[in-house]
Amino acid sequence: MNDVVNNSRGGTATIHAAGVEIKDLRKSYGANEVLKGISLDVAPGEVVCLIGPSGSGKSTLLRCVNLLEQPNQGSIHVGGFEATDPDVDIDKMRRKVGMVFQQFNLFPHLDAKRNCSIAQTKVLKRSQAEADKVSMHNLERVGLGHLADRFPDQLSGGQQQRVAIARALSMDPELMLFDEPTSALDPETVGDVLSVMRNLAKEGMTMLVVTHEMGFAREVADRVVFMDGGVVVEEGVAEHVISAPTQPRTKEFLRRVLDPTHIGLEE
Amino acid sequence: MAMTARQRARVSLYVQAGIFVVAIAALILATDWETIGNSVFNFAKIGPMFPGILMTGLVNTLIYTFLGFVVGLSGGLLLALMKLSSFPLYRWIATGYIEFFRGIPALLVFIAFGYGVPLAFGVSWNITVIVMISLGMVASAYIAETLRAGLQAVPKGQLEAARSLGMPQWRAMVTIVIPQAFKIVLPPLTNEVILLTKDSSLIYVLGLTASQYELTKFGRDGISSLGAGLTPLLVAGAFYLVITIPLSFLARKFESRTARSNR
Repeated sequence: MNDVVNNSRGGTATIHAAGVEIKDLRKSYGANEVLKGISLDVAPGEVVCLIGPSGSGKSTLLRCVNLLEQPNQGSIHVGGFEATDPDVDIDKMRRKVGMVFQQFNLFPHLDAKRNCSIAQTKVLKRSQAEADKVSMHNLERVGLGHLADRFPDQLSGGQQQRVAIARALSMDPELMLFDEPTSALDPETVGDVLSVMRNLAKEGMTMLVVTHEMGFAREVADRVVFMDGGVVVEEGVAEHVISAPTQPRTKEFLRRVLDPTHIGLEE
Repeated sequence: MAMTARQRARVSLYVQAGIFVVAIAALILATDWETIGNSVFNFAKIGPMFPGILMTGLVNTLIYTFLGFVVGLSGGLLLALMKLSSFPLYRWIATGYIEFFRGIPALLVFIAFGYGVPLAFGVSWNITVIVMISLGMVASAYIAETLRAGLQAVPKGQLEAARSLGMPQWRAMVTIVIPQAFKIVLPPLTNEVILLTKDSSLIYVLGLTASQYELTKFGRDGISSLGAGLTPLLVAGAFYLVITIPLSFLARKFESRTARSNR
């Protein structure tokens, strides 16, 4: 709570970053096993990008971390919570985990400020005045303080996604999950969203990012994890995995996404 | 001589207009205007219906409809949530209720609660309670289906976003999903009110005292007491239209607003 006061005074953001420990995580839909025993640790303050072809299970993995998907087996340790413990207080755990969706999922019946404040007042029981202050601080943080009274349908995709980030930050999360945050955006608005995420990384937030933006991954991520077919194929320092992958599947994937001449030239 | 497409269209239009004129002329000539005037449009004799039909009938119809709608909306929301519940028993109960009350005539429900239940259980309810129960129970079934469709039309991502912010399921429903669902179902919900207004006419089968008369009862009594034929029913019908046409206009307005704000 003290962080909030500091933040709203306009000081540099103080982030309590939490880590994530995932052990042997398995998830199936019927007979289809999507995650085949994933183990992955993210240190507090670390930025990890999950890359891989669609259907590789990276979004499912991300969604398991805040239990939007229920894992079948394994354990996930997040900020002092054991997510797979049947007695875990899901709602309490989720307050520490910010989630940003591909489709933004802003609340269309609420303006940008109210999108940021609604969960603060209803869940954290902050007063409306305090919640508004925090919301404005975070909207300014993503460069949208001047659009606080706009409704989602009055904002561009990139602006909506930045409001969604501000909304997540307003809960003072200790970890942020990004599920392909720029995939639904017009190309010209991708940069604004990425730069907000870059700043957040600099401030020391723990971030787990599913992305196809290789440039962002190389520049911002401490570590890159390449997934395919429900397993971690290769992981390591971003520069190494992206520029000098060792596994053939990683090489093939990166060749496809990085080589622009490759797109559309295949039969 | 061959005709162009435009000429053919014009001839077709003339033919249709000709048929219409002939039909109307035949109708006018064949009609016994004096009888029609005496028994359908005999407005000279309907004076005694006023001001009762307005001050009592219209007002009571509005009150009965409103009561039925309030009960129907609460019951409908409960049933809709039950139908979407993860607990199978709730789903079965809701489905059974909805199918039952949508499948039987509303008149049967009125007779059951107006005569059957009081007789069977030795209770005597006043008219307000009977109206609230019978009209509300029927309305619940219809409104439940409308609301269920609305709740399902709210994108799944809305609930996920709310839950991700730490909101418990009930809070996410109350604060995020239900308000959006209501906005979506505003046009069909307005149509439910129109249906309800008309269904409230069934109350006339219950033994009403004078102060409880609604529009249809006024119309029906007028037939037997005024000697103006069908005219009293015509007047009652006109008052229903006074309620339903603005509602239907409102529904269309909501519809175009929803269509405009759709992303």
